[in-house]
Formats: sequence, structure tokens, C-alpha cells
Amino acid sequence: MPIVLHIKDIRKVWHIERTKEQVVALDGISLDVERGEFLVLVGPSGCGKSTLLQIIAGLENPASGGIELSKSLDGHKETGMVFQEYALFPWRTVLENIVFGPEVRSVPKVEREANAQRLIELVRLRGFEHRYPHELSGGMRQRVALARALANDPAVLCFDEPLASLDAQTRKVLQVELVRIWQETKRTFIYVTHALDEAVLLGDRVVLFTARPGRIKEIVPVRLPRPRTITGKQEVELLEYLSERIRDEVERSLKAEGLT
Amino acid sequence: MWRRYRPLRIISPIAFLLIWEAVVRLGEVNPLLVPAPASVLRTMFDMTIDGRLPWAIAVSLHRVLQGFIYGSVLGIGLGLLVGWFRPFEDAVDPLVGAIYPIPKSALFPLFILWFGLGETSKVITIMIGVVFLVLINTVTGVKAIDPVLLKAARDLGANRRQTFMKVVIPGALPNIFTGLRLGAGMALILVFITEIEATKAGLGFLLWESYQLLLVKQVFGCTIAFGILGILTTWILQWLEKVLCPWRRV
Ligand SMILES: Nc1ncnc2c1ncn2[C@@H]1O[C@H](COP(=O)(O)OP(=O)(O)O)[C@@H](O)[C@H]1O
Ligand SMILES: [Mg+2]
Repeated sequence: MPIVLHIKDIRKVWHIERTKEQVVALDGISLDVERGEFLVLVGPSGCGKSTLLQIIAGLENPASGGIELSKSLDGHKETGMVFQEYALFPWRTVLENIVFGPEVRSVPKVEREANAQRLIELVRLRGFEHRYPHELSGGMRQRVALARALANDPAVLCFDEPLASLDAQTRKVLQVELVRIWQETKRTFIYVTHALDEAVLLGDRVVLFTARPGRIKEIVPVRLPRPRTITGKQEVELLEYLSERIRDEVERSLKAEGLT
Repeated sequence: MWRRYRPLRIISPIAFLLIWEAVVRLGEVNPLLVPAPASVLRTMFDMTIDGRLPWAIAVSLHRVLQGFIYGSVLGIGLGLLVGWFRPFEDAVDPLVGAIYPIPKSALFPLFILWFGLGETSKVITIMIGVVFLVLINTVTGVKAIDPVLLKAARDLGANRRQTFMKVVIPGALPNIFTGLRLGAGMALILVFITEIEATKAGLGFLLWESYQLLLVKQVFGCTIAFGILGILTTWILQWLEKVLCPWRRV
């Protein structure tokens, strides 16, 4: 598989103005992302997963190192982001949210709305086009956010714990939906989560991070057929392996936060 | 649980007026100081027929609208710039901090000296009162925008100008309306104060003149007219907010 994204020796330091502290969020992150893969990043909270996604999306700059997106990209844009807190514009309806990207790129109205209709079909929001975000459930909001990111036709989609604030039932449904949409769009997904079961269900590869400063501890390939079930024998084995590997890191990160 | 008892909302003000009327008629209070509601209504009717009340309202409304519109436009425009562009904040903040605490009515004499007794000094006094309330609330609105929305806009490809037009302005709109409501109240207070002196027309003038002539019924009538103006401006602004911010849960 060709490489779509080349991450080279990234280091990120946050400077906290008020206390003059320096927080090393990421250190020596190198990673090649394959075109069309579903890559999952897991690690204890505060290890820099969100920071890495923002760097990939060009929303933050690394202190050193860099990212390289392959020249022959699919799509119009390099990356698109789906945030945990949805980040929908409250004053825009579902349809208006979805067309935001094409609108600021001056895509003609007819074209961008036709495309939005196709995406509404894809994320199964037919009939809700003219609702405002506050009139939707959490799961529906996240599907709008996904459609909005897809509307820019990005080569790489970044997800920052998109299902973390949803209830267990909705999460399950959306996990299946995500895999379907990933298969239909054939895009590269980089997906941050702290839920190991999600990593097992979704990932082609799972990247385990250490506690802060975030480094890559291990990259675990997941060679399980889809659709996967969390109770399957191989899935359970993998889940156990991942929890074993991540336990130390979680403990270290809790200790760093003064717990335990 | 206490269910809302709707008829009470109509019965209670009517009962209040009836009791007031009865108390006056029974001679319990001096009708020269507290006239009965029916006689006040009668006076308002007469003042409407002879044209004095509508004319006074028209004159005051003209001053209020001018001051309010200039003040709002200036307040919203400056507020958006101050909230969004750091240099504007650093330039304007100390000025606002220095002038805002002054009661705006205290500036009126200065404005008379500078701009004369005519309309200008009144309109400017009202405008200054409105500007600060709208400005401060607009700045608050811009700063209260969820940073993740700004990030999302950038991620979707919006440049700074597009982010300003498509995220900052609509995001600040609810707070802007708070400022406009407060500004409208301030405009009514200030129009009254600027009409006490140095004018021969307006609702404030009519009220003050009635007081000096001890025409208590007219005083009541003008006071009620001011109240009605206040209610009307609130309604109009509420309606405008509903039209411009349809996403807001009411
Ligand atoms: N904007 C910021 N300013 C300062 N420190 C930050 C900022 N964003 C994140 N950090 C710090 O960087 C570290 C990594 O954060 P983050 O990437 O959000 O971790 P994760 O997403 O893995 O939970 C944390 O210690 C966090 O406090
Ligand atoms: Mg995070």
C-alpha cells in the first residue's frame, strides 16, 4: 500500500504562559500512514493524541519534525477533522453545516447542495436537513459533523474521540456505521480513542502511545476479518493483549496526575 | 405541583385597577395626588384627541430612534473589531474603561455647551448611553464563541475574513441582542432626562411641564405612555431576535 501520510520525528512542546511551564506533549513520533487504512491511536488521557491529530490537520505546528502528505492525494483537500464535541455551527441547519467547507471554497451553490444531499444519504440523515443542531441527538450531530468533514472530500479524515460523549447503545451503532462509511468512501481514517474495544473493532492497525510525553510504544496490526464482534474469540484475545500493554502507561499517567 | 392558573394573570391587574378606583372614589386618598384610573384614561384620551400626546411621543421617538440606531451601529461595529482584533482591544479598552463608569446623563450639560440646545446634544447623549452597552455585550459575545468552532471553521478551509463573517458575527448575535435590549432601556431613560431642560417638545418635556403645573392626571398619562414605549421596544427587539436568531431555543 502506498503511503499517504508521512509523520517524521515530531516533537511538540506546549508553553503555558501563566505558569511559564513547558509541557512536552509529543516526542519522537514517526509513523507512516497507508492509503485507505483505518488507523487507530490509543493511549492514556493527556498523552498527546489530540495534539498529534491537530498537527496532522495543520491546526497546530510541531516544535520540530513535520508531516508530509503524499502529492497524489485523493480528494480536494488534504485533511478533515471530526471533533469529540461535534463543533457544529449552532446557527446553521444540518444542510448549511454540511456545505460550509465547499461554501468557503466558493463551490457553486447548486453543486455543493447536490453533494450535500448525497452525503445526507450516506450518513442517513434524510428528513433532518433543515433541523438545527440542538434539535438533534448526540449521535445525529456526530453524523452531521462527519458529513461536513466529508463534504470537503479530504484524503485523510481525522477523528478525535468522536463517540466518547455518546451512550453505549448509540456508540455501537455508530461504530458499525463508521466502518461502512470508511468502506464506501475508501478514504484514510485516523481515529483517536481511549476505548480499547473500539480500537479492536475498527482498526487495521492500532498505535499504542506511552504516557506523556507521548511516544509510540507499539504498533499492533489487526488482521481480523470484518465485520468484527467484540465477543469473538480472536477479538477478545487482542483486547486482552492491548489492555495488558497499556496498563503500565495508564498507571504512569495517573501517577503523573497525582492519582493513586 | 402548582399548575399555572392563567385567568389569574388577567384578573389580578384588573382587580388592582378596580381597587385603586374604589379607594379614590371613597375618598380615602387625595385625588389631586393620586387620580383614579378612569380619570387618567380620560385625560390620556383628551391629550390624544387634541394631539399633544401623539406629537410628544413622535418627537421623543425620533430622538430615541436616532440615538439608538447610531449607538447600535457604532457599538456593534466597534464591538466586533475589539472582540476579534487584538490591536483594537488594546486601543479601545482603556477608553471604555475610563468613560463607561460616568453616568451618561452627567455628560448632557457638556454636550449642550458643545452642540447647543437643539437635537444634536440630545441625540448624542442617547447615542453614548447606547454605544457602551451594545459595545460591551458585543465584545462579550465575540469572546464567548466556543474556540472549537473557530478551529472547525479553519479546518474546513475558512480564512480569517470568512471566519469573521460566518462564525464570529452569527456567534456573537445573541449577546448583541442582549446589548440592544439594555441599550433600548437606556435610551428611554436618557430621552426623559434630556427633555427636562432645554426643549419645548417631547414626552419628557410634557411630563415635566405637567408636573410643574401640578396637572397630576397628565403626569400619570405621560408616565404610562413611557411605559408603553418601553414595552413596545422590548416586543420589537424580541421579534427581531426571533427572525435573526431562529436557532435559539426560546
Ligand atoms: N492548548 C494547549 N495549551 C497548553 N497545553 C496543552 C494544550 N493542549 C494540550 N495541552 C497539554 O498537552 C498534553 C497532551 O494533551 P492532548 O493532546 O489533549 O492529550 P490527549 O488527547 O491524548 O488526552 C496534556 O498535558 C495537555 O494538558
Ligand atoms: Mg484528546
